[in-house]
Amino acid sequence: MSTASSGFKLSEWLFTTDHKRIGVLYLIGSVAAFAVAGIMALLIRLEQMSPGPTIVSDAYVGGDQYNVWLYFHGAAMILGFLIPGLTGFAANYLLPLMIGAKDVAFPRINALSVWLFWAGIVVALLTFVVPDKPDVMWTGYPPYSIKTGGNLALYVFTVHLIGFSSILASVNFLVTITYMRAPGIGWFQLNMFTWSCFTAFIIQLVFVPVLAAAVTLLLLDRYLGTHFYDPANGGDVLLYQNLFWFYSHPAVYVIFLPAMGIFYEIYATMAKNPIFNYKAAVYGMCGIVLISGEVWVHHLYYSGMPDWLRIGQMVTTLLISVPVGLMTISLFGTLYRGAITFNTPMYYGTAALYLLIIGGLTGIPLAITVLSVHLGETSFTHAHFHFIMGIFATFSVFAAVDFWFPKIAGRMLNEKQARLGFWFNFIGVNVTFWPLFIIGVQGMPRRYWDYSQFPPHFADYHKVATIGAFIVAIGMVLTISNWIISAIKGQRATDNPWGSRSLEWTHTATPPGPGNFPKDVVVEAGWTPYDYK
Amino acid sequence: MRKKSMKRVVSVMAMLGVGLPILWAHAGAQGAVPDPAASWNHLWHEVLVDLFVIGGVFLAAGLFWVYKYRATRPGQIGTAPKLTALAAIGFAVIPAFLFMADDFYLAAKGWTVWNEYRNVPRNALEVKVTGMMWNWTFEYDNGVVTTFDPDSKTGDGLVVPVGRAVVLRMTSTDVVHSFFLPEYRVKEDLMPGRVTYLWFQPKAAGETLATCAEFCGNRHSFMWTKVKAVPAAEFDTWMAGMKRQGA
Amino acid sequence: MIKSAVGHEQAHHWETSVAPMLVVAGVLFLVVFGFIGWFSYHSALMAIVSAGIGVPLLLAGIAKWTGEGLTHKPLVEGLSPMALSIFIVSEIFIFLSLFAAYWTMRLSAGADWPPVGTPKEFNLVLPLIMTVILVTSSLTYHVAEVKLEQNNLSGFRGWVFISILLGLLFLGCTVYEYQHLMHQKFTPSTNAYSTAFYSITGFHASHVLIGLGVFLAVLLAAMRGLTNKYLAFCAGLYWHFVDIVWFFVATQIYYW
Ligand code: HEA
Ligand code: HEA
Ligand code: CUA
Ligand SMILES: [Cu+2]
Repeated sequence: MSTASSGFKLSEWLFTTDHKRIGVLYLIGSVAAFAVAGIMALLIRLEQMSPGPTIVSDAYVGGDQYNVWLYFHGAAMILGFLIPGLTGFAANYLLPLMIGAKDVAFPRINALSVWLFWAGIVVALLTFVVPDKPDVMWTGYPPYSIKTGGNLALYVFTVHLIGFSSILASVNFLVTITYMRAPGIGWFQLNMFTWSCFTAFIIQLVFVPVLAAAVTLLLLDRYLGTHFYDPANGGDVLLYQNLFWFYSHPAVYVIFLPAMGIFYEIYATMAKNPIFNYKAAVYGMCGIVLISGEVWVHHLYYSGMPDWLRIGQMVTTLLISVPVGLMTISLFGTLYRGAITFNTPMYYGTAALYLLIIGGLTGIPLAITVLSVHLGETSFTHAHFHFIMGIFATFSVFAAVDFWFPKIAGRMLNEKQARLGFWFNFIGVNVTFWPLFIIGVQGMPRRYWDYSQFPPHFADYHKVATIGAFIVAIGMVLTISNWIISAIKGQRATDNPWGSRSLEWTHTATPPGPGNFPKDVVVEAGWTPYDYK
Repeated sequence: MRKKSMKRVVSVMAMLGVGLPILWAHAGAQGAVPDPAASWNHLWHEVLVDLFVIGGVFLAAGLFWVYKYRATRPGQIGTAPKLTALAAIGFAVIPAFLFMADDFYLAAKGWTVWNEYRNVPRNALEVKVTGMMWNWTFEYDNGVVTTFDPDSKTGDGLVVPVGRAVVLRMTSTDVVHSFFLPEYRVKEDLMPGRVTYLWFQPKAAGETLATCAEFCGNRHSFMWTKVKAVPAAEFDTWMAGMKRQGA
Repeated sequence: MIKSAVGHEQAHHWETSVAPMLVVAGVLFLVVFGFIGWFSYHSALMAIVSAGIGVPLLLAGIAKWTGEGLTHKPLVEGLSPMALSIFIVSEIFIFLSLFAAYWTMRLSAGADWPPVGTPKEFNLVLPLIMTVILVTSSLTYHVAEVKLEQNNLSGFRGWVFISILLGLLFLGCTVYEYQHLMHQKFTPSTNAYSTAFYSITGFHASHVLIGLGVFLAVLLAAMRGLTNKYLAFCAGLYWHFVDIVWFFVATQIYYW
């Protein structure tokens, strides 16, 4: 009897403590956040299509309207979509299966995490109903965030709820991976995805509390009248920015690492090859954990930090290219002499080659202090992080859903529609974000809804970008609706449609039932998840 | 035997990786009249070339392999060679040192130009800039104050003489702003309770703009000002006129 | 086809628990909506209604959770001490961030410390007494654990009870001190020192409160004859952590 036919009981989903169902709950929440934040992106793009008011009411309230869209877009994409999509959905669904465990170490804490995340989404969505809509951007810099009429508390509580959810998840998974691997699975036999999550969770555990503290102090300053960020009373404006980026730079690796992990899995499976130089990549991930906490000043190059810090952290930031480069070599090398099957996950995988290089390498000029002094805070930065995060990492979530869809839903996706969606997405993002690189170098600042003071040709680039965004929108609708329709009436999947060697495909049913594995998993000596010989 | 030679290779690579780029970057760093914007452009082009080379190599390899190693029959498996321990270390250590070499090279180059950005020429004209929601004021050393109104486009904004470095001492009365001069390739934040600085070298007469680059609320996009570079003589008459008006 | 796990004796049904959702709903109403009602919209009604909904939900959730925790057998036993230790790493970073904020303000103030508005004679004896109280409570809890190991359940209950009393006494001192200081017009918004003082001691006190809540859960369960050595051990571990943090709070805030 497969679980798909055992009937749907709402209470079994809402109160579930099963990691697979919790994973799906994460997926639903994060895709919802993505859709709303994506619609905000479309509004942003429409507004920027021409200088002066385009869709905002007029020049005086225009800023208020636009800033709320942008606040929600940034905060929801990062906190509501990518982090929960990767370390929530993908990690939850896959890690216990990949290490041959029946569930995570603390199933009820896991359920607590997912509902805390959902509560965070609810609080974020309140943005659209309260009269004093928050407009503090996802960075929430004081003193603006303290002075604004917007509701700062919504921002802070969104961060608190989702942050606490992440901390609990980190504890849960670090313990699970360390203590619940099936007999025979050693550290260097783990899936790359498992390693990537392990390292990402270490980062979360250490750095999320710093963010939590930073925003808590905002709350105290705003509502209890303390003076942490108030220079007139002995506080320090830059303190917030330092605490915030001390978290938020490492946070990009919380996104980047699992995204890479997903592509490693897809590459190995589709090329039927072991990971090229596995250990180098694993040490690369550990290297990222070590360096990630010493580079935050690269977001403050033009913020009046002491010169020695700006120079010192330029060096550490550039050095990140060493571990990332090793991971990249492993990723690309996995293709070498492979036997590559092309399906939608591998389409995304191929696009990832290019996105990783463009998005990653454009971080390099931003990392050079003096270049950043011009390029930072312009749409060059936008294009950089949309390529690496808004596309590379976002595509990793789509690729993951497409790749593990048969396992999760027990049914196959409509491959044609998935591919069509891919092409719209891929072409659309290029049309959207390349123009932003160009006008960024020419000085287009961030968070501007009106740019009449700049040369008129900026408007042309913005128009192209807007068209691109709508191409992406078509692709997203195709992709997401495909998941929903195929989950209901797709063709039934076999246990291991891609011929993978990883435990979640070889040792359990599709979809897996309660308790995951029919028999306790024990692997033979020398087993690896990439053994295609 | 093998271990020893490995060690030697590594140490030579390390020396080259750290030493050469720094030497290279420092050679020919000395110019006559400092012009940060020109140095910026130069560095930017160099970095672009660097990135095109790295990106090109990786992309070419990746895309070529994707194309070349397509499966030709169902059930086919990959034939990747198993790495020997030495090869595995080599594939980690050699690229790591190459990347590091490039990083240190870029860092040294960036550092050199950065020094230019932070060393204000001695004869620089000093202007106090105050940012507030959502406007700028400029106070010259003789007490003359100017502003600019982006709505009506009236006011002089920042007026500077060609050929003399200008240093801005900046602070804010309310929230964080950032004074961004795209033409001069420089920006720096303004904060309440602190004074920050930046300097630039107006080389040719003409009108450019400065605009706020740190989010500061409703009218953030409107917080800009004209920056007018005028010949020195014209600057003096303008200044005299302003003084007469008692501005 | 691989047969699904149905029929396998370990798990033949989907595990569920309502506790997590109750707790989250409770937190959402009590903390988030309560706070926003009171502080953002200055509506006592909204705050009270939210708290009225949140508190019962939260309590029900916690009660259900501890009940289940003491009766269900986990997949792998004995992982909670390790998990709590990892969680404490996280906590350390929160406290470090608060201290970093304090140090930044303190060091940039230079000679102007303590800033104007700080009462001339700060009571330095009280924190000493509080230290003694907290250390004693750590010791008494340790005794409780020893009793538990000897399977002396009534001894365990007694010593846990004493530890709770000491914890309450500590909080009482805090309340007394706060009242006293507020009376001297030393409030959170007075100056940089008061900002740090109330935030850090308050944050620590909230940890004491949570620790007491855990002790209470342990005690209530023990009254019903239920104990779990891992739960008891974790409660103690957390308490010792809170105790150690106090040393830093006291030395940095009062005696530096
Ligand atoms: C997933 C998210 C993600 C990732 C992985 C990265 C990765 C990197 N980022 Fe990015 N970044 C963001 C998300 C991300 N970033 C976001 C969201 C912002 C804006 C935040 C805001 O202000 O709102 C931002 C902003 C940002 C800034 C600040 C710009 C500003 O002030 O406006 C800087 C500056 O240094 C920077 C640098 C880098 C660098 C050096 C990397 C490196 O990790 C990249 C490393 C990768 C490579 C280098 C390519 C692969 C390697 C090789 C092919 C080997 C050979 C290469 C060399 C030797 C160079 N990023
Ligand atoms: C994961 C991160 C992520 C992702 C995926 C995106 C995706 C997109 N972003 Fe995002 N963006 C950020 C993270 C991200 N962004 C961040 C952090 C900022 C900075 C915020 C700040 O400054 O504070 C930013 C800022 C930002 C700006 C800058 C505005 C400004 O500074 O003034 C712009 C402008 O073009 C933009 C555009 C877009 C577009 C067009 C997309 C598109 O790719 C979006 C495509 C998605 C859709 C169009 C949704 C489609 C879905 C549906 C229509 C629903 C379908 C539903 C069913 C079928 C059920 N973004
Ligand atoms: Cu001032 Cu933006
Ligand atoms: Cu960063």
